[in-house]
This record gives sequence, C-alpha cells and structure tokens, in this order.
Amino acid sequence: MTKGLKLTDILVTIVIAIAFGIVYILWGSVYYALKPIGLHADQFMYGMWFIAANVAFFIIRKPGVALLAEIAAASGEFLLGSPWGLTVLLYGVVQGLFAELVFMAFKYKRFHISVAILSAIAACLGSVLMDFAYGEIGDLAAWNLTLFMFARFLGSILFAGVFAYYLVRVLEATGVTNLVRPASSKDYAELDQK
Amino acid sequence: MQLDFSSKETWLHRINPSLKLFVLMMLCIVVLSVHDLLFMMNFTVIVLILFLCFTGQPLKRILLLFIPFFVVFLSTSSSMILFGQGNTTWFKWGLIHITEESFFRGLLVGFRALLFAVLGLTFALTTRPVYLFYSLMQQVKLNPKYAYSFMAALRLVPIMLEEFQTIQNAMRVRGVVRQTGIQSVFFKMKAYAIPMLSGSIRRAHRIAVAMEAKRFSDTKNRTYYYEIGFSKHDLVFILYFVILLLAGYYGAVKGI
Repeated sequence: MTKGLKLTDILVTIVIAIAFGIVYILWGSVYYALKPIGLHADQFMYGMWFIAANVAFFIIRKPGVALLAEIAAASGEFLLGSPWGLTVLLYGVVQGLFAELVFMAFKYKRFHISVAILSAIAACLGSVLMDFAYGEIGDLAAWNLTLFMFARFLGSILFAGVFAYYLVRVLEATGVTNLVRPASSKDYAELDQK
Repeated sequence: MQLDFSSKETWLHRINPSLKLFVLMMLCIVVLSVHDLLFMMNFTVIVLILFLCFTGQPLKRILLLFIPFFVVFLSTSSSMILFGQGNTTWFKWGLIHITEESFFRGLLVGFRALLFAVLGLTFALTTRPVYLFYSLMQQVKLNPKYAYSFMAALRLVPIMLEEFQTIQNAMRVRGVVRQTGIQSVFFKMKAYAIPMLSGSIRRAHRIAVAMEAKRFSDTKNRTYYYEIGFSKHDLVFILYFVILLLAGYYGAVKGI
C-alpha cells in the first residue's frame, strides 16, 4: 500500500476524505433530526458515512485508497469534534477495511456500479459488526433488529453505492479525475462508453 | 481542535499527543469490555472531571458542548430501553416493551457512548493537529507522506468552508430558484458537492506537485521544525487514570 501510492494520491485522497469528514459531522444533525420519528428511520441515513471510501476509490482507482479515505475521513471527523468521539475512528477503520476488501476481490480493475454497491454493503456489514460489539444491538427484539438492518442496508446501497457512483460520474465530466487516475486508461475505456 | 476559538493552555495540552491518543484508545478498549453499570458510572465521572476542569475552555462553551453529549446519551440508550429484550417487564404499550434488563443495558450503552464522546472531545480540545502529526512522525514513525498530507488537508478546511459560502452567495445573486421536496436535496448536493470536490482535488494536486518540486521526500532521518518529546505531564496523565480507575473499580465492587 505504501509502495503503490504516490504523494499526489495520498494528498488527494486525504483532502477528499477530510471534505467528507465535514459532511459526516453535518450529517450527524440530519441523523438526529430523524431519530425522534422512531422505528430506525435514522438508520436509513447511516449509509452516508461510508461514502468517502467509494468516492475516493472511484476517483483515484488505486489499491489502498478506500481504506485510507475512510480512516482519514473518520480522523477528520474526530479532530474537528464529532459527538461520537473516538468511536468514529474505530468504525472508520473497520468500514474502510471492508470496502477495501471488495475492491481487492475485483483486483482493483472493475469500476461498475455493482462494485460500488457491493462495497457499500460490505462497509455496512462492517458497521453492523461493530454495532454488535459496541452498541449491543444483538439484544434488540427480533422485529426491531430486522427493521434496523433493512433500513441501514438500503440506505448504504443508495448513499454509498448509487449516489457515490453518480457523484464520480459527474465529476468525470469536469475532467478533474484525469489529473489523478493512473495513466493506463485502456481498461476504463469500456466503462466510459456506457 | 482550535479552528477559530481560543482557550487557556492546561497541562492536558502539554502531554505528548501520540501518548495521549494511545492512552485514550486503550481507555476506549477498556470501556468496551466494561459490563458493570456502577463501574461505568464511576468511569464517566473520572473522565468528566478531566473534561470539565482541565480542557481550559470557558464554562459557557463547555455547557454548550454538553448538548450533543446529552443527545448521544439519550438516543443511544432510548432504543435499547424501549425495544430491548428482557424478562422482567416494567411497562408495555404496543411495540414499546420496557424490561428491567433492557433498561439497565440501555443505560450501560448510553454511558458507553457518552464516555467515547467525552474522551474524544477532550482529546480534540486539547490537541493541536500539527503537534499531533509531528509527534506521530517522531514517536510512532508515521510516514511523513501521510502526516504532511493530513496537515495540508486540515489547512484546507477553512478554504472549503469559504468556498461553500461563495457558492451559496453566487446562487443567491444569480437568483437560483429554491426547489422543494426530495428534488431540492439532490439539486443541492450536486450544486455544492461537484464544484467543491473538483476544486479541492485540483488544489490538492497542485499542493502535491509543489511539494515534490521542492524536494519533499519521505527519508527516514529528516529534521523536524517541532521537536516533540515526553515530559512529567505524561506521567501525571497515566497515573491519573491508573489510580482513579482502580479506585473506581474498588468503589464499584463495594457498591459506591
């Protein structure tokens, strides 16, 4: 990972991640605004917290970027003062790792929307595992837990999967991605035609 | 982190940042393994003392910072209290089912979330990010590429906020019609996210090119503008937690 990433990649990844770190903090208030509705309406918004890994990876398209982005976004959120404190760091590492594993499974060569959705689901799975350790959600009543899971996975697919993918697609139109992607664009040509 | 608000410097500021981070992480791991409500409450008090008295913030600001803590506590504990499983029923109304077990587990989870939040904010309020990354480079041997990238990125935060306002003003000046409903959310996301992201990426790329042009490299034996070492404050910090946590544990066992 250290070998493969140049200073440019790291700096761009971290800047993107810190930008999302700010979004993450602001998103906290959206999350809490939905909380009083009850029945885990807030969980639907949870997916936003996995977006940094996907956006950064789809922009830069190199190994290690997704993990780095999620860690950097979490530390940015932490340093700027998140009400969740150190938890976000732990969650960030796990979510980033899970998203990274999906990209690794595709050998960092596939950039289809389905990959984005898969990695969003993986990051969501990571967060759920953390919740079992930390929030003891395993002790929620069964119907409630099902609702919780459904809302969170659906939200992840929409925000971190579909939304992140289209965000990068629009960014591509600005031409900014050409700055930071690896030069060999043969593999990506077929994607761009779609 | 002190972006725009200043505070007094206390002994917490002078602790080695890497050590502080390490100790707080260890504490978080301890918190995760605590399942005793009394000990958890003692733990919370110990950390709150540090937060209230030694972060060097004015009392007003501390009280203001307490609001999100309170929300975190309520929101984390409430869903467990209201919907958790348990045998001894206290209250049942429709889907809401409060039991003795779920109530205490809810409190435990709430306190845990509160502790994480207070620990995190105590760190954020008493640590300058620049010192943290310099310390991480010197004591933890973090690769300078990452450390300097973080520092550069954090420096860009005020610029990003300024840019956000510029876009907002520009849209107002040009009379962008306010949309309503779900469409407005997507419109706003696109209108703000795209220019800010592309601008940030370009800026980051320029900074990286400039750094490399000025011979930035990650050689191991580089010199540092800030030399960060250890002091007696570090020992005080560690002893504070060791002594008080042992006392807190003893108290919990005795039922205080």
